[in-house]
Amino acid sequence: MVTAFQNTQVLLLASVLLAACLAKLAVREPVANTSHRVHGVPVPAGLARLTALRGSRRMAVGLGLGEGVLGLALLMTSHLSVRLATTVAFAAATWLVGELRVHRPDAGCGCFGGLSARRVERRSVLRAMLFTAAAVAALGAPLAGLDVLRDVQAQVWLVFAVELALFAALSPELPALLERSSLPRCPGRASTPCERRRSPIEETYATLRGSAAWAEHENVIVSAVPLDVWREGCWRFVVFPARRDGRDMEVVFAVSTAERDRTVRAALTADTKDLSAVL
Amino acid sequence: MPPPPPRGASRRRRRAAVLGTPPGDDRPERARRPLDVVTGLVLDASPHLLVVGTAGGEARLAISEATTVWHGGRGGTALLRPGRRVVVRPRDAGPGTADDGWTAARVPGGARAADRIWVDIARVTGTILACGKGAVDVDMGPHRGRTRVEIPPRSLERVLVRHPRLEPGYLIDVICVRSPDGPRAVLPGTSQPGHRADDLAAPEHSAPVPAVLRGTATWFGGLDDRGDAGDVADGAAYPAVDAEGDAGGCGNAPSGCVAFPFLSLGSEITVHNECDGRGARVPVVECGCVAARYCDRCVECDASPRGRIVELTPAAFARLGGDLVSGCFTAAVRPLPENSGDRPVVGEQCALSGASKGAASW
Repeated sequence: MVTAFQNTQVLLLASVLLAACLAKLAVREPVANTSHRVHGVPVPAGLARLTALRGSRRMAVGLGLGEGVLGLALLMTSHLSVRLATTVAFAAATWLVGELRVHRPDAGCGCFGGLSARRVERRSVLRAMLFTAAAVAALGAPLAGLDVLRDVQAQVWLVFAVELALFAALSPELPALLERSSLPRCPGRASTPCERRRSPIEETYATLRGSAAWAEHENVIVSAVPLDVWREGCWRFVVFPARRDGRDMEVVFAVSTAERDRTVRAALTADTKDLSAVL
Repeated sequence: MPPPPPRGASRRRRRAAVLGTPPGDDRPERARRPLDVVTGLVLDASPHLLVVGTAGGEARLAISEATTVWHGGRGGTALLRPGRRVVVRPRDAGPGTADDGWTAARVPGGARAADRIWVDIARVTGTILACGKGAVDVDMGPHRGRTRVEIPPRSLERVLVRHPRLEPGYLIDVICVRSPDGPRAVLPGTSQPGHRADDLAAPEHSAPVPAVLRGTATWFGGLDDRGDAGDVADGAAYPAVDAEGDAGGCGNAPSGCVAFPFLSLGSEITVHNECDGRGARVPVVECGCVAARYCDRCVECDASPRGRIVELTPAAFARLGGDLVSGCFTAAVRPLPENSGDRPVVGEQCALSGASKGAASW
């Protein structure tokens, strides 16, 4: 019974590490969360640097890959060094999560990438402690993860199911995951709404010049210098002088400011000077 | 409302050409019409008549016992000296005219009856740079420059109630009167204690943008002579003006404590005074990056949600029924035309799903 319990911990830890790896690679942490003040009080510079380092994409990808390697190693080998590395990793994670909860109540732990963007709760600390305990229990497990899966006993499944349920109950990331999956086609991180996303002008021009609307109207544009460039909500408008059938016109492009799948609309209108003359 | 900047009209025409025609009037249902405010310089004043020089010529307003005159405090018509700048709110004759309307009360001679007259009123909003004896230097933002505000002893106590830390780096907001030596503080312009300018409470980056923003509307200006000729640039300072291209925004403006959509100079927003019930479309004439630093409430009528969502010129503020001395009103602002067809339909569903579900009604 004890051996079965120990073997189950290997499966659990491998599952958690692989899930954390996937989450870190697939769901980016929000980039806007860079404030180094807690309730108006500046965070000590060292801790702020540490938080910034932890929040960087490179660090997230590196940690994710490390967790993936460790998870796969747990599945493939029963070598003690792998188990020890897992134990140390979870013990370090427990310390880090506890520190974050005390010193950075505004920051998420990033344990599961962008899904862990909310402030660290007490249950996250408890979860990390339980995983550390599971890693200690798994030190003496005789089988590698894949070997456990080859000959699964009923009691292993039962313990594994209970532990997964406990893991789910202690995970604030689960509601975030459900929230994301209920959104229509949102690959990757939670997007900044296009109305308030800072969209560089270079991005607008690149989108515009690669669009079908640009190809359609390119021939009537008479100057590469736009007459006016401004923004309203999800659209940046770019106006170029144009000439068609001997008449001065304007091509108005509306370029989306969304993060991805930017659309472009265009309209050929009478020149403002002509219009004012008519009016 | 006075005509918007020239660029605004052409931008709206071009926008309509490429996205479809926006609706003509986004005023909330049953919103009262704005008042017909007069701004300009006092040309002549008697106990019963005020003559104001405006961009459109002379305006004659009747003064009665019910008229209140403010110049650092309530006073009489003796304060209406020639050369002083005034904002005059005519008396509302009440409902009964067409379109839920308002008509100016008139005296038998045909002149409009003045209700409130603010003389040489100004406002200083910004970050304290330095504090001296009886004065503070204030940075009012990249587009408004710096000024020195005198805080006389009789006003200091009132200012300290709302700004207990008059120290460099802290925000300040004071209602002033103009004087030859610069603005003189009279009373604080905010109901909440000041905080450090860099102590921002920005919403989460993925926070959806509501169709109608709710918060505080304040006013700005009165320090320079821009309004003397009839408020040629009358309108609103909006906290999130885009900085790219010709949009006219400030490069490093903070994001504010409300999820604002980006707009440009010349864009039109619809402002509704939820205390007074008046609403109007107002052109964006300035970047309100200073307002973005304030996360205070207005307690003029109940408590507004946090955040200054718009700053209005004195005339625009008074037109919507605001009292320049109280300094704010609870406002609902529709920054974009109510036209769901003008939003991107491909790819932005993720970002827009929350926004379109937001408070879309007035």
